[in-house]
Amino acid sequence: MANHSQLNFQDASSPIMEELMGFHDHALMVALAICSLVLYLLTLMLTEKLTSNTVNAQAIELVWTILPAMVLIMLALPSLRILYMMDEINEPDLTLKAIGHQWYWSYEYTDFKDLMFDSYMIPTTDLPLGHFRLLEVDHRVVIPTSSTIRVIVTADDVLHSWAVPSLGVKTDAIPGRLNQTSLFASRPGVFYGQCSEICGANHSFMPIVVESAPLANFENWSSSISS
Amino acid sequence: MVLRTVLTHAKKHPALIPLFVIIGSGGIGASLYLMRLAMFNPDVSWDKKNNPEPWNKMAPNDQYKLFSINMDYSRLKKDRPDF
Repeated sequence: MANHSQLNFQDASSPIMEELMGFHDHALMVALAICSLVLYLLTLMLTEKLTSNTVNAQAIELVWTILPAMVLIMLALPSLRILYMMDEINEPDLTLKAIGHQWYWSYEYTDFKDLMFDSYMIPTTDLPLGHFRLLEVDHRVVIPTSSTIRVIVTADDVLHSWAVPSLGVKTDAIPGRLNQTSLFASRPGVFYGQCSEICGANHSFMPIVVESAPLANFENWSSSISS
Repeated sequence: MVLRTVLTHAKKHPALIPLFVIIGSGGIGASLYLMRLAMFNPDVSWDKKNNPEPWNKMAPNDQYKLFSINMDYSRLKKDRPDF
């Protein structure tokens, strides 16, 4: 989850999120270069060290065509690479269905027999000390660490969106449609997210909690909860 | 007509040549990709009589997207029943 007044990304817990953070650093560096150049030229112009009475503008036209083209290519190529990487089908070990309702998520592990549950937010009045307000749920989504999970997201009534920033996942939940995404938790831990599509009065109060546990712990949990 | 305008402008203002090259290749690239989508995307059905629902015939070891970064689709096995 994010700390108080955190502006940057949450720590990456999946390879895709690491790629996205690297690309974000790259894009911000490009933005810094452009802003510095503009600021420099602006100060030169405002202090009258850069003036022009040219009528034949061949050189500058060449510069301000080639330079932006190079900037755009430097942004587009890594971006498309990550986009295609996110869409790859990568032999999932487990399938999880996340269904959005007003105002809770329900999860079904149909690879197992009878493993399905609803996940409601814990109201602040019932929250134990030290737990995260508006983020904790009664039943967490448990997944095995370092396994590729196929998540199929849909909704039962209105639009919702299943998002976990630390894992780099955001997938819209649309009634009547199945959207598939891929999840890979690189390390064990608890990852928080919130519904990311306005869905009514309690849209801010239907969080998502993914708990990544080693495979043995996941198997213990799945056999205990389905009984 | 467009080509003649481009050539006369390019002779008078040679600095515009990179602009024409970049915009031209962008337009051609977009059109080629659109044609690829129209012809090879399994979500598109042109021939309703002989091939009405091509999205039902997708195999796990075919690559449908233009680029594949980490995944070699040809080595995936087909372990599910046909319709």
